Amino acid sequence: MGQIYSKLKVAILLLIFAGITTVTFAQLVNVTGTVVDATDGSPLPGVTVLQKGTTNGTTTNMDGNYSLSVDRDQTLVFSFVGYSNQEILVSSTQINVQMVEKAELLSEFVVIGYGIQKKSDATGSVTAIGDEDFNKGMITSPQALLSGKVSGVQISGDGTPGGGSTIRIRGGSSLSASNDPLIVVDGIPLDNDGVSGSANSLNAVNPNDIESMTVLKDASATAIFGSRASNGVIIITTKKGKVGDALKVSYSGKGSFYTIPNQVDVLSGTKFRALVSGQYADNSNATDLLGGSYTNWQNEVLKPAYGQDHYLVASGAIKNLPFRVSVGYTDQDGILTTSSFERKTGAIALNPTFFDKHLKINVNAKVMREANRFASNGAISSAMLFDPTQSVLSGDQIYNGYTTWLQTDGSGLPITIATSNPLAMLNLREDISEADRKIGNIQLDYKFHFLPELRFNINAAGDYSSSNGTIFVPATAASDLTNEGVNNVYDQEKKNELLDAYLNYNTDIDAIDANIDFMAGYSWQHFWRSGTSLNRNQSLLEYSDYETESYLVSFFGRLKYSQSDKYLATFTLRQDGSSRFSPDNRWGLFPSAALAWKLGEEGFIEDLGIFSDLKLRLGYGITGQQNISGDYPYLARYTYGQDNAAYQFGDSFINTLRPEGYDKNLKWEETTTYNIGLDYGLFEDRIVGSVEYYLRETADLINYISVPAGTNLTNRVLTNIGSLENKGFEFSILGRPIVSDDLYWEVGANVAFNKNKITKLTATDDPNYIGEHTGGISGGVGNTIQIHTVGQSASSFFVYEQVYDDAGKPIEGLYVDRNEDGVITGDDRYHNESPAPKALFGFNSSLTYKNWDFSFAGRASIGNYVYNNVDSENGTLGNIYNSVGYLSNVVENALYTRFQSKQYFSDYYIQDASFLRMDHMTLGYQLNDVINNTADIHLSVTVQNAFVLTNYEGLDPEVFGGIDYNIYPRPRTILFGVKIDF
Amino acid sequence: MNIKMKSIMKKYSIYTMIVTALVLVFASCVKDLDTVPLDPDEVTSATVYENPDSYYQVLAKLYAIYAVSGQQGPAGMPDISGIDEGFSNYLRQYWMAQELTTDEAVIAWNDGNISDFHDMDWTATNEFVTAMYNRIYYQVSLSNEFIRESSDAKLDERGFTGATKTAIQQYRNEARFLRALSYYHALDMFGSVPFVTEDDEVGAFFPEQISRADLFTYVETELIAVETGLADARTNEYARADKATAWMVLAKLYLNAEVYIGSPKYDEAVTYTGKVITAGYSLQDNYATNFLADNHLSNEIIFPIAYDGIHTKTWGGATFLIHAAVGGNMSAADYGIDGGWGGTRTTSALVKKFLPDASKSYFVNTKSTAVYPLIYVPGGHQGWAPDAVDCPTLASVNSDDNYEGYVNFPDAGNEFKINATPSWDENYGDNEPDNVLDQNGANLTAVDAGYYKINVNMATKAYTFEATHWGIIGDASPSGWGADTDMIYNPTTDEWTAEIYLTANEMKFRANDDWPINLGDSDMDGILEYGGGNIPVPEDGNYVVTLKLGSGDYTYTLTPEAVDSRAMFHKDGQTLEITNIGEFTEGWAIAKYKNLTSAGDAGSDLAFPDTDFPMYRLADAYLMYAEAVLRGGNGSAGLALDYVNLLITRAYGNDKNEIGSTDLTLDLILDERARELYWEGHRRTDLIRFGKFTTADYVWPWKGNVANGAAVDAKFNVFPIPSTDIGSNPNLDQNTGY
Repeated sequence: MGQIYSKLKVAILLLIFAGITTVTFAQLVNVTGTVVDATDGSPLPGVTVLQKGTTNGTTTNMDGNYSLSVDRDQTLVFSFVGYSNQEILVSSTQINVQMVEKAELLSEFVVIGYGIQKKSDATGSVTAIGDEDFNKGMITSPQALLSGKVSGVQISGDGTPGGGSTIRIRGGSSLSASNDPLIVVDGIPLDNDGVSGSANSLNAVNPNDIESMTVLKDASATAIFGSRASNGVIIITTKKGKVGDALKVSYSGKGSFYTIPNQVDVLSGTKFRALVSGQYADNSNATDLLGGSYTNWQNEVLKPAYGQDHYLVASGAIKNLPFRVSVGYTDQDGILTTSSFERKTGAIALNPTFFDKHLKINVNAKVMREANRFASNGAISSAMLFDPTQSVLSGDQIYNGYTTWLQTDGSGLPITIATSNPLAMLNLREDISEADRKIGNIQLDYKFHFLPELRFNINAAGDYSSSNGTIFVPATAASDLTNEGVNNVYDQEKKNELLDAYLNYNTDIDAIDANIDFMAGYSWQHFWRSGTSLNRNQSLLEYSDYETESYLVSFFGRLKYSQSDKYLATFTLRQDGSSRFSPDNRWGLFPSAALAWKLGEEGFIEDLGIFSDLKLRLGYGITGQQNISGDYPYLARYTYGQDNAAYQFGDSFINTLRPEGYDKNLKWEETTTYNIGLDYGLFEDRIVGSVEYYLRETADLINYISVPAGTNLTNRVLTNIGSLENKGFEFSILGRPIVSDDLYWEVGANVAFNKNKITKLTATDDPNYIGEHTGGISGGVGNTIQIHTVGQSASSFFVYEQVYDDAGKPIEGLYVDRNEDGVITGDDRYHNESPAPKALFGFNSSLTYKNWDFSFAGRASIGNYVYNNVDSENGTLGNIYNSVGYLSNVVENALYTRFQSKQYFSDYYIQDASFLRMDHMTLGYQLNDVINNTADIHLSVTVQNAFVLTNYEGLDPEVFGGIDYNIYPRPRTILFGVKIDF
Repeated sequence: MNIKMKSIMKKYSIYTMIVTALVLVFASCVKDLDTVPLDPDEVTSATVYENPDSYYQVLAKLYAIYAVSGQQGPAGMPDISGIDEGFSNYLRQYWMAQELTTDEAVIAWNDGNISDFHDMDWTATNEFVTAMYNRIYYQVSLSNEFIRESSDAKLDERGFTGATKTAIQQYRNEARFLRALSYYHALDMFGSVPFVTEDDEVGAFFPEQISRADLFTYVETELIAVETGLADARTNEYARADKATAWMVLAKLYLNAEVYIGSPKYDEAVTYTGKVITAGYSLQDNYATNFLADNHLSNEIIFPIAYDGIHTKTWGGATFLIHAAVGGNMSAADYGIDGGWGGTRTTSALVKKFLPDASKSYFVNTKSTAVYPLIYVPGGHQGWAPDAVDCPTLASVNSDDNYEGYVNFPDAGNEFKINATPSWDENYGDNEPDNVLDQNGANLTAVDAGYYKINVNMATKAYTFEATHWGIIGDASPSGWGADTDMIYNPTTDEWTAEIYLTANEMKFRANDDWPINLGDSDMDGILEYGGGNIPVPEDGNYVVTLKLGSGDYTYTLTPEAVDSRAMFHKDGQTLEITNIGEFTEGWAIAKYKNLTSAGDAGSDLAFPDTDFPMYRLADAYLMYAEAVLRGGNGSAGLALDYVNLLITRAYGNDKNEIGSTDLTLDLILDERARELYWEGHRRTDLIRFGKFTTADYVWPWKGNVANGAAVDAKFNVFPIPSTDIGSNPNLDQNTGY
């Protein structure tokens, strides 16, 4: 925090700078009056007073007074940001006005980078979702609120308790660098790295506290965030109290019940026994291994679970101090036995105003403590593979009583390569963590008394987290017998600090019927983290620690120009300096420009009588990406080796010292986005939506790529080589077919198509270069199933073409000799599909009838392909018996293909995983004025993950990255909720 | 505020002051961007070499490149990427490239394109070839960096003098040696490759490709240049290179010069192997101790890659060598490890190099030259074809009407006939049956499967047949005259065999554990007679005894089975021949490397062996010397023979198998290299030098992905430059054929 104070100097100087800028207008006097806030009677400066239909107007001064020369019988329009417009017929020379603050702020305004903006004036692709529209259910992560709601935004959550989600906005713009969007919480751009020991980097924000989430998709909207904005920006705004509100207390509680939707179809004990007995009829070594039990191992490790969530909030205002205080508690068990998540959150928001609303102060503080127990996902595959004829417990004390495959030499030692007992893996492994996080900021927004058009905003923020965890496995566990158990301790501390400040000048130029909004600012961010880890096993102590930091310094500005409220233009420019790059490459300039034409305001469109709104938008912008692993990738560094990678010289073991590979010219990658969009509203906005087309070209891809042999200190370094493009089309529609007092029905849908293509990958553009392999699979060592190749989608599957028999069954080991050289080699692999969906759909509906409400939301993904690694690894008959002395179960697919040995690279296992998932369905009932008229109660029941429609044969078609193995099953959740407003 | 200040205020407008102030403040924030690593474990190149200890530690890294895969054991901070870290290990890659491509090893696994090695159909995209190449250039690049940073100019600049400076200069010579060693690997495996030295700074450039011949000269020059700067043989710290190590690489270079540059350098090969041999190394008494957890004590190992279960952990190297070779019913404890990975075995081609040498047999299976009248026994056992070559016969050794022979009927109920000629013209069965043949009679039947003695009198047409199984009896055999030692019938060779320990006494063959049918050799002519004299066994020892019956002369052999102690196979539960490379139990396993000390104790860690890899051994130098002399190098033929016989004598524990000068041929050298050095990473280079790697001259099971072995394209004598490098360096031309 100390460094923040030094940065305050900057802010003070900016204030001084602001004081010397003045703009004046000539005025005539006829009508005079005072404009005040309707709630507290305070004068409102800066209110626009305009003679309707003309460009004749003025604004109120510091005391809320105005004077304007105007003809009689004309109408004056009073408008002010955040307040409803008022139109008053000029009937006297003294017109005093009480302005009413808009209740539905969000419906009219959207939060953008460093400010808010009228939605109708937005020139970029900006979608805001308010809390009314959030997804319902047992939602512990903010990301899940948005799932399926915004076209072009793919949010894929996992099934773990307290787990996170992966967000992709318009596909990925990077190959090796992060594809996560920038997330800004109450003006604080978070780092994307998360907190070790916490499954989700956004757990510190209780979803109940969120007022709105705004998705900025195109570069004209995101470029103001510069080097971190290539993958879009999500701005999260939390709820606040309001001046004049009475004290409101509200409680909401949820109880949830998690069930297991389905299981991997492995052989039952009976079938497995028959299979082994048949296959190994003449090999008693194999058949002797069969046990006498019938165990469904998946039933043993996956159990229904329960969760609860409580949330209490008080909000209101003490005189001029609006406040909102909330506490939350979440306790959730995972369906994979032993996994659990517990979280406590607290949030406080104070937003007082001073000096007749000239100074607004926003104070936000969020605290979170979470406790996790992580379960080994490996237990899921062990549950598939462990011989179903064995019992869970052996009846012996050894290995904590768990049945274990033992070496056949009578030594009693476990077979190290045999399947581990899944319950031993879960119950004997204590992998627990605790994480604390505090995020706070103070934001001052000052409107100059002598020039209310000018605003100064300063925001100081800190984000601190500390976490620690332990992993313990007893020395008696078969899995870690050789190590004499596991006893690891780790901790981490993170400090991220932010200071930013900007000046905003906004004025109408009545003479030309225009509005100018200019903003210039400065931002400073410091990211610091350190951690230790201690592994204590055998007689050895392995200790390691790290400490690292990075800085980001930025200057930015934005000019918005509006002509006649029909023609809008926005220009932004940001210069970012990052400590992650060398002084020569440190600074990057990120410009953007956007134009919008409010067609709906034109007479020829108005005359059609159909469109209540129609706006054409054109955007262009350059954004950057610098989120790479390591804070010093450009520096020539040496790293010490650990004690267990030392080398023997004589009788001593020498810890080694290694020079690291590096690219001293490394810089950020740049994405250029072109966007064309049309926002429409039909029939008095009963139908609204937008259509967009975009092209995103990323150049100078930050990529781990092979360098010419001998030129660097390792074979692949992080460097800027290559380019890729994403092209897409998005369409969204929201309709309100029925709007009446008793019945309200809203239905929305969106669709997004995205096509991703790598356009350059190497320095030489060698046309024969096959590409960079990626996508490691389970099975064998170091096998990969995907590839990045020029001209193909990133991470395309790279496989052999399977040959099938007349009955359509794959013939084992027989592939098409695609290059016709007579032999099947790696050169016969070809580019199959890719895991990225070709189209994403979102749909939702809400219906309110009197006190009842019903809503649902779902998603569909079309053309996303998955490598069924579960079948490829566990679908062969040749591996049910290992002569070392153990048996392995197989999936039913093995009985179909009858493959003897594993055919990892057959395109047979690349499967269409298109799906439709009903994310939630909620039925609610509102009870008003109960408990002696003190409270309103809302009751609801929700089914989350209600059903999935898919042809995919695996457990769940939604596999981020496209390789299906060890997926933590997404539970089906039934949830009962109650919300009481006092 | 004084007057002066006021005047300044006037002179410079407030705007200028503000702008100046802003610039100053922003500049200070901007300075924050100049970060340096906070972690003391990470140091910048600018400061690292200020400490002389850093040189020692970087040198340790250069050696460790061969042993481990990164800065964290066994994995976690990899040196190279793009492949599983454990697989990426230098020694593991080197071993796979040199052994899996040959008759010495196969691997059961499905990892990526690993099967390409044994199939001999690798391409430029093969990830293991790529990893080998990347490992070589990892060594070259890091050595270059070290050599650059330890130039005399840099040492002076950093103020190092005296012993410190001298020590670093020796490190630099070792770095140059290690770079030459890896360039030698590049030369051997890839041929013409990109060339970088310490003069090429780290950065984005495209190295030029050097021809194989120029690289040969470079490696040769470097090794000779650093030789004097290296420690004398056997005087450096353990596991560090010395003069003898450099001689060994030079000798390899020269011995293979015909392959590398097309002209012979056998004189030089003799010179440098000679230097190694006389440097003071000596053979271990026990061959096996070179491959055990305490093999750092071996006086035979010239250059090891050192491992330690606690301090030097990797999933490659010795961990891979030992774990991957254990599977099937092998007991992990017998190898000092916690469990096998069931991967590597050998082909029968290697096993057969250890089989008893038939030329040393007593009583060779020589039939007499006599031609006997025959009758024929066609039937279900051979396809009812009296004219077929495999049609069993009965012979009349006295040229009378009495015919006798032994016929194997593999199946119960096997039907057959007796034909007077190799045709159906005159064939006999037995209609009644009454043990008298009837012409064109019903088929004869062997009720049970077995090896039958058949007698026919063609005059009376009376016949008998009797199932027999054979054994050895006599005071030479372990059971004495009281009981038989059973022999095993081999239908392929139509012989009965036994591996048996015999003493220098007497023995006979007899059937069915009784005396009515027994064979001896009265006149010791190698041809047996019923009730013949006892056969004297010449000396105590293990013998392979064979008995060949059939028809005509019955013969036998007694082949002393000298035990080659280098034949460390695990046969139990394994088949000799391989029908499916993916099955560990097919192909004999190799029990050469173990994480056990010579006292039989397990190493310091069951997962990570202590066993060092013997990259160069004295035995290799002996065989190289002999080969260089045989190929015309200017050396002593006598010494060459002596050196080979030293190895043979150690192998058998006695000098009875010593060879003579006429036995010392190149073919013997190649086979002896297989017996002595199998699984030590030499085989691919050896087979190429002998012209047998890709050609039809020598095939082994599954060579070229054909069960019986087949020749492959000659392009496979070098590996292709990986496509990753062709793709990133436009100066490179691919090796011919790829």
